[in-house]
Amino acid sequence: MAGEEEPFVGLMIAGIVCACSVGPWLLSLVATFIYQPSKQKVLLERESQSAIKGDVISTLSKPFGGREVKQTKLLMASVVMSPSWVQMWIGGIMSLFGGQINVFTKVVDWARREAQQRLREKVQEEGFDEVINMRIETTMLSRTKGGKDKTSGVEILAYGTAIKY
Amino acid sequence: MQAAPNLIFSNTETIPGMTITQSLGVVTGSTVRAKNVFKDIGAAFKNIAGGEIKAYTELLQESRNEALFRMLNDAAARGANAVVNVRFATSSVAGGAAELLAYGTAVVAQ
Repeated sequence: MAGEEEPFVGLMIAGIVCACSVGPWLLSLVATFIYQPSKQKVLLERESQSAIKGDVISTLSKPFGGREVKQTKLLMASVVMSPSWVQMWIGGIMSLFGGQINVFTKVVDWARREAQQRLREKVQEEGFDEVINMRIETTMLSRTKGGKDKTSGVEILAYGTAIKY
Repeated sequence: MQAAPNLIFSNTETIPGMTITQSLGVVTGSTVRAKNVFKDIGAAFKNIAGGEIKAYTELLQESRNEALFRMLNDAAARGANAVVNVRFATSSVAGGAAELLAYGTAVVAQ
């Protein structure tokens, strides 16, 4: 009797161990190739919507054309993005060879576009015409694990002075 | 949190439509914040999938507003009515805490 049960219990334990170690990676794989592109597609739609009227944000330090300004306000928009496990793993392997690390470029570029798009939407929400002197700031967020600093995300802040004519 | 003093602030060198008559020096405001352990665990799970981590986005937004608020209070205490050239700096301190700093030049503008 015991001899018949043992392989079954062993198989179950092996299955649980397998699911626990492979599960997150599978989830990460699905997220990297299905969830992230879908989010990026939504962002692209939002961007093309606000691009119809022309870009409202600029890095000029003075309003263009010297028009009279009625009201100003500092606006900020920020986002924290993190690469998935799969992307971290691919990035780790690619950094052995050097050169451009495409997976990280994609994530940081996505975060930067998202932050800028949020600023554009905020300008519209608050009823301003334009943002001048826009600046972008990047910060790496890390958490300490076993004496090693592990990157847990990158924060992008886009801020500028909103003006109303 | 008290209401923020009613000051004009901008990250340009001058405030468009106003002239600066007096400079009152550099004002700063900073804060160090950490999220609670449960949100950190949630963020670690979100790390598997990648993409935006909303808990951290909110944390940093709140803390940045706090830093800005302190800077504005400093400026108001000096008798300024505007702050120009506002800049932000962020650094992550070990242990999941982040330091947010806002600084600028307090001025009197008309």
